[in-house]
Amino acid sequence: MRPEVYEYNFDWMLWRTLEAASKVGDGFDKEFKQMLPYIPYFSGIVEPFINLGDPGSAFFKMISEYLKNIVTAHEQGKKIVMTTFCFSPTIFYAMDIVPVTLEALTVLASVMWKRGATEYMDFCVELGFTETSCSSQRGCLGAYLAGMGEEIDMLVINTAGICDTNANAFSFAKTFLDKPFYSLNYPASLNDPEVNQYHRDDFKALIKFLEEQTGKKLDHDRLGKVLDEVAKQEAIVGEMEELQRLVPSPLPVTYNFLIYGGRFFFAGMPEYTVILEKMATVVRKNATQGRSGISSGREKLRAFMFYIDHYALNLNLWNWFDKREINHIGSILSRSFKDDSPYIKGMEDVAYNIDSTNLDTMIDSIAMINSRMPMVRSIRGPYDRPNMWLEESLALAKMYKADCLIYNGTPGCRNTWSNIKLIARDLEKAGYPTHIMYGDAFDDRVESWEATAARLDEFINVRGLL
Amino acid sequence: MMEIFQEAASGITNRYITDWVNSGKKIVGYTCSFMPPEIFHAAGILPYRIRGINTESMEIGDTYYGPYVCTFPKCLLQLAGEGKFNFLSGAVISTGCDAMRRLDECWRKTGEDYHGSIPGFFHYFDVPHKTDPHAMKWFENEIRKLILNVEKYYNVKIKEDSLRESISLYNHGRTLLWEVEKLRAHENPGVSGTDAFSIAVSGTVMPREAFNEQLEQLLADLPKQKSSSKKSGKQNKNGNKRIMVAGSINDDIELFRLIENAGSNVVADNICFGIRSEADQVNMEDDPISALTKHYLSNSVCPRMFGAYKQRFDLLQTKIERAGVEGIILQNIRFCDLHGSENGLFERDFEKLGIPCLRLEREYGPLTETGRMKMRIEAFLERMEVKQTDSGGKS
Repeated sequence: MRPEVYEYNFDWMLWRTLEAASKVGDGFDKEFKQMLPYIPYFSGIVEPFINLGDPGSAFFKMISEYLKNIVTAHEQGKKIVMTTFCFSPTIFYAMDIVPVTLEALTVLASVMWKRGATEYMDFCVELGFTETSCSSQRGCLGAYLAGMGEEIDMLVINTAGICDTNANAFSFAKTFLDKPFYSLNYPASLNDPEVNQYHRDDFKALIKFLEEQTGKKLDHDRLGKVLDEVAKQEAIVGEMEELQRLVPSPLPVTYNFLIYGGRFFFAGMPEYTVILEKMATVVRKNATQGRSGISSGREKLRAFMFYIDHYALNLNLWNWFDKREINHIGSILSRSFKDDSPYIKGMEDVAYNIDSTNLDTMIDSIAMINSRMPMVRSIRGPYDRPNMWLEESLALAKMYKADCLIYNGTPGCRNTWSNIKLIARDLEKAGYPTHIMYGDAFDDRVESWEATAARLDEFINVRGLL
Repeated sequence: MMEIFQEAASGITNRYITDWVNSGKKIVGYTCSFMPPEIFHAAGILPYRIRGINTESMEIGDTYYGPYVCTFPKCLLQLAGEGKFNFLSGAVISTGCDAMRRLDECWRKTGEDYHGSIPGFFHYFDVPHKTDPHAMKWFENEIRKLILNVEKYYNVKIKEDSLRESISLYNHGRTLLWEVEKLRAHENPGVSGTDAFSIAVSGTVMPREAFNEQLEQLLADLPKQKSSSKKSGKQNKNGNKRIMVAGSINDDIELFRLIENAGSNVVADNICFGIRSEADQVNMEDDPISALTKHYLSNSVCPRMFGAYKQRFDLLQTKIERAGVEGIILQNIRFCDLHGSENGLFERDFEKLGIPCLRLEREYGPLTETGRMKMRIEAFLERMEVKQTDSGGKS
């Protein structure tokens, strides 16, 4: 790693960047526009977010607060847990533990910094980690392995049985940092009674682990409050995602990023509920007016990303969609699958409920939430089994009236690259033009965004979609 | 006598497979060392570890798998599509790693396009990644499910007594393998690493009765060694360096031959086809299914068991001390992140202890990279020599 990269801590730099970004929209419009030329690499994300109005600005402020909590956690006497994006942070907030979510922080660095998180990715390789491992962990992980973040107190994951490269990154970090580690592990099927019992037992063991690490018993009242807040949030998200079925969709294209990003960062925190309410107000208004959420107000095409999105500098993917008047109708990361979401009809088997009646029901609820998180829910078993990747992709594509489907991931995703050709063939057979992106969602060096965009344009043109 | 083992280890089929098929008996392939072959043995079915050896092209493997995937499962798929595994009446796909578990879908889809390439019995065997009590329960259920499906499909009954007999037979085979392990660890190795590995691989593709019988005869014929195992810090009598090979899956004895021909003896290995440890015995006192559950899940020899690095490090260290290992070749197939990154940790920790390590990334399949690998291995052995000379003969 270049010596200058060691000058500032990764988490501290992210916090300061977001802190500044969160204030950009506080001034007059003229001040805001005058400022943009001074942040050339960053303006591509600041401008669209600030232009989103209250939700965008509030989202910046909340991420800034999230990062501040990491940087000041130990001063406040709190423990820090290194975790993964598909682990709901609900239990951590209920136990006053501060999460460092590797992939989420890699995304922040990727979309905001010219060099993204690549210096840190490469540092992992310097330490002996494989270059073929997933870049989503390697970005943030490299910084923490280099000692350029607050000291981690423990590691908790839920990707064993789901994604080897993900679980392996944390397993490597556990050894390298010599910290306590708990791994939830998932069977290949989702909804058998014995599997549900296993989910419950595994989560109870996790709570015991967290109690040992923090020296505090789980506060049942607090857990109940956090879960009730999650239920409120999912109800708002459910309403917005129901409205997304309208043609044109009233959701601005970046809203899905805000929704799932918010879920990974803040599930259960009241501040996130406020942001969601602000977003829902915009969506309801657009829906009433029959207006598309796309900047131009017109929707020409609807695309469903059936894996993850692309986080190149300045959120290029969303801008690409917006400029071409294509509506981004979600990805594997988008939906919560709560039982009362209107879109869950026909997919009841994958749903979870939230019941804060007593400790047992709360543990059941939180175990169910975690077992239904993105990836955990649908790539645990063979892709063509009930409730798995193919069934879910087809159901969502149909429900949201997708015109085409697009796969994007990272070369490190051994799991999906092992069957992407099979599922793409099945999706085509079902009548959906399907495109496989060969770049890396977090590392622009694998394929530049320009090349990725050219291939996307080629797909749209060759298949006659626009 | 070694020819039997070398023949079995060098090809997809062998004389025993041919005889077995000709006598109308069934063979079931499996993909991972976490699958208890005793279950099939107890059902009168030959358990056969599926291998990718002798693959000559990759057009089928590359058609169904994506590009960023390890070549081992691709080779298995290639051979399956070519009909090379048509002697199997069944297959069990385990969740060894992500690429291997996706062999389930890739093989099924290949079977739709290449008719007859998929066996009638096709079972997905889910293996936990940890050994907590609730994970043990899950694994035990998986074993019971497998037994039920075998009984149903093959119309057989796997009785407790038969299972006990099979466990006993497999345990005896492990005891014999351990005798081989002791011979190769000797100051003057009584068996080469290539031969020892051939024997271990043969054990996964030969009927266990025949394997045990042949191995007993071989051990009786091999010259007896006088002293006990060699301690570290001493040179081999033949001047060769004493090497351990660890890392990704390998069933190709040519890799071992390549390493030994470069001027070394592979006196130990830690590869899932190889020989494990003296304690590698299924408990005969326990209920058989419970004993198989504990044995096959608790042996955290593979980095798929997340968070168990120390257990594996300790195992390697024991092998190093027992066999007087002077250097370690940590190999991994490209895109095998589990072994690849754990090799990084092993390199860090063993180099700190003064044991030279070579990390070697390779492709599975015919040793197309022989020249590059040979050069790197020779350079590694030279480095060990220089280090030993610089330290006055003490490595």
